[in-house]
Amino acid sequence: MRPRIGPLATAVLGLLVVALVAGGAAQEARKSGGTLRAVFVSDPPTLDPAEATDLTSAAVIRQVFDALLELDERLRPASALAVSWTVSQDQRVYTFKLRSGVRFHNGRVMRAADVKYSFERAARGKRPWVFDKVVGARDVIAGRATEIAGIHVVDDVTLEIRLDRPFAPFLYLLAYDAASVVPREETDKRGASFASHPVGTGAFRFVSWRRDDQVVLERFPEHFRGPAALDRVVFRVIPAEITRFNEYRAGQLDLTDIPTGHCQSAQRDPQLRGDVAIWPTLGTAAVRFNVERAPFNDVRVRRAIAHAIDPSIIVDRLLERCVTAARGILPPALPGYNPEVKRLVFDRDLARRLLAEAGHAGGKGVSPLAYHFNTTDTNQRIAELLQAQLKEIGIALELRRLDWAAHLKLVDLGSAGFFRQAWIADYPDPENFLTVLFHSRNVGAPGNTSRYRNPRVDRLLDEADVMAAGAGRDSRYHEVEQMIIDDAAWVSLYHYASRALVKPYVKGLERSAQSSAPEFLAPLRKVWLDR
Amino acid sequence: MSLTALRVVGGRVAAVVPVAFGVTLLVFLLNAAALGDPARAAMGQRGDPEVIARIRRDYALDRPLVAQYGAWMARLARGDLGHSYHQQRAVTEIILERAPATLRLALAATLVSVLVGVMMGALAARRPGSLVDHVIMATAVLGISTPVFWLGMMLSLVFAVTLGWLPVSGYGGGDWQHLVLPAVTLGALHTGSVARMTRGSLLEVTRQDYMTAARAKGLAEPVLLIKHALRNAAIPVVTVIGIGLADLLVGAPLTETVFAWPGLGRLLVAAVGQRDLPVVMGAVLVFALVYVVANLLVDLAYLVIDPRTRAR
Repeated sequence: MRPRIGPLATAVLGLLVVALVAGGAAQEARKSGGTLRAVFVSDPPTLDPAEATDLTSAAVIRQVFDALLELDERLRPASALAVSWTVSQDQRVYTFKLRSGVRFHNGRVMRAADVKYSFERAARGKRPWVFDKVVGARDVIAGRATEIAGIHVVDDVTLEIRLDRPFAPFLYLLAYDAASVVPREETDKRGASFASHPVGTGAFRFVSWRRDDQVVLERFPEHFRGPAALDRVVFRVIPAEITRFNEYRAGQLDLTDIPTGHCQSAQRDPQLRGDVAIWPTLGTAAVRFNVERAPFNDVRVRRAIAHAIDPSIIVDRLLERCVTAARGILPPALPGYNPEVKRLVFDRDLARRLLAEAGHAGGKGVSPLAYHFNTTDTNQRIAELLQAQLKEIGIALELRRLDWAAHLKLVDLGSAGFFRQAWIADYPDPENFLTVLFHSRNVGAPGNTSRYRNPRVDRLLDEADVMAAGAGRDSRYHEVEQMIIDDAAWVSLYHYASRALVKPYVKGLERSAQSSAPEFLAPLRKVWLDR
Repeated sequence: MSLTALRVVGGRVAAVVPVAFGVTLLVFLLNAAALGDPARAAMGQRGDPEVIARIRRDYALDRPLVAQYGAWMARLARGDLGHSYHQQRAVTEIILERAPATLRLALAATLVSVLVGVMMGALAARRPGSLVDHVIMATAVLGISTPVFWLGMMLSLVFAVTLGWLPVSGYGGGDWQHLVLPAVTLGALHTGSVARMTRGSLLEVTRQDYMTAARAKGLAEPVLLIKHALRNAAIPVVTVIGIGLADLLVGAPLTETVFAWPGLGRLLVAAVGQRDLPVVMGAVLVFALVYVVANLLVDLAYLVIDPRTRAR
């Protein structure tokens, strides 16, 4: 008797066959070889994970080095050099099992001691905050010790890390490029020049770097995940955005950013519209007040200005609707984002009333106001729009543009009362926005440039930072975010988006919220060229 | 080398010391007065006060200004330009790495401006007041006043993107194709000046008595122009070319930006933004020396072109 196969089973079988065939085809279609021609806006300052503080350096470091973990396309921590990990009941001890047999580009096998060495070295570098939650790390950062007491090498493939107190985003930190693993013998041998001759375990190894011109990487055939599809990656350094655009149109680049003012026209251009890729990233552009300086020590003045700003004009007219107008501080792409958050609505009458209540009717006594921003065309145009909007409530804005170094210094010192600031999350957690930017212990250069001090905010942040992910943690951050918005210590303008042009033959490029054109942080080992 | 030439070289070499001292002191003081801290700038947006303090100690920024400048001058006396804060490498190494690209671009741009400028000036001077003269002089003014950024973009759009004849940007492997568009763009700046100076100088020379005598002897116009007029008209033109070469060496950051050319101009602009004082001081010192050398070359060229200067 022939077995009977029902219509549903037939359909399921059919789908399975199709999936298998398609999967096989996809596997076969992944072509090996070729050079990916990517681009940077500026030369990377360094290729040493301990010294880097910028996206350009990170974009190379992430290809040359591996960390214990990496973030997947949905920003979840995933296995990299660590094959598995456990967390103790009290959330303070993390134990990692490392992959065995992973090789550095110099041929030596990576061991747990390399991870400990790399973390201690990086703690003495420019991003010590990545490690400062580990027991004993502050001693190394301050130069009082050479070893971090809380990092224990159990054996060649087991590493234990003990924290001072629970810290929910800790796994994210271990996926950060500052936590990349380096071979000690190479850093010892090269000293400071390790920054220009990096050696890691990454899918690509360093070939050459002609300053202000290009960085070249090649496939590392012995990478623990198997060789990457691409033979080489060339990162050109092209500072002018229009030149990058022209190089892309001339077929000399495989991916780049969309120049300012071309976002809509690129989507209409029959030759480019298929290449346009826009996705949200983890950044928010805003204006901030130094709440210690008059007149911004009066919340009514801050709120009046917040109510007088209409970010939709900036988004629609200036940024061509290629970014989203901000409601809150946290960007929508960030896990923990609160869709219910409420911004101070655009209401000029209310703004005028608040100013009058504060004793500054029609801007009397506060106008003219200085607005500080760092020099870029977009910032200049935003400043001009803000100037026009605040004029409507009687405040004349004086625009003060400075280069980045001067702007940073002015803001850190608290000398600027009203200024531009943007923030891009180092890792996808509300702590990296709210605690860094608004906790009173971070006043000044560490991030709280508003000099905002609110004991309730501090307490909620302290509670949330140590809690495990979940509703209780999220609700604390949401409450803090709304309090800061209502206090008008920060007025969000828009959330960042990556605006990229990617040739159709470039396959496998992850469009995660952490990756932004033209400095893509995506793992290029997944990329292949279909041509 | 004649005694006069030796005197010229000696004078220029002796000028190097006060020039170096004056220029570097000025840069140092301006930098000290400017807002911004290299240690803070190196930290990115999130600065740890403890680390900023450590970097300031590492860079010796915690020492008094006089001690900082003194230490820099002492190192300079040993031929050491110090270490870049930003790149953590020797400044000499950084400058030597960029110098060939800048030198190639400046020389190529000078070649363009001399060849085209002298030709335009000579053509215009042949019939002053004619249509050709007006067109050439209008073109020269256009060349001088056209923004480098715009001209570079237009040339790139036409010859690289649309026609595909030349690369859009970059240094390539040091090949001539990558050099053409930046050299023409940068050269256009000075082509107009050279053309105007050549025309003016030629017109003055051609009105001299010896030219009338030569013409009366029946010499052909091209021979008159090349053999007698151009040589005598060359002195002011050589001055413009010499100073122009120095300008092109140090004044190319815009062209270098448009064409992603890895030269000294871009290095200096970036170093100022990063408050990388050792690189700024080193680059400015090199640029000052370039001007001294350019003036020296102009003086030596006078000796070759004008026999009267040899006799002084």
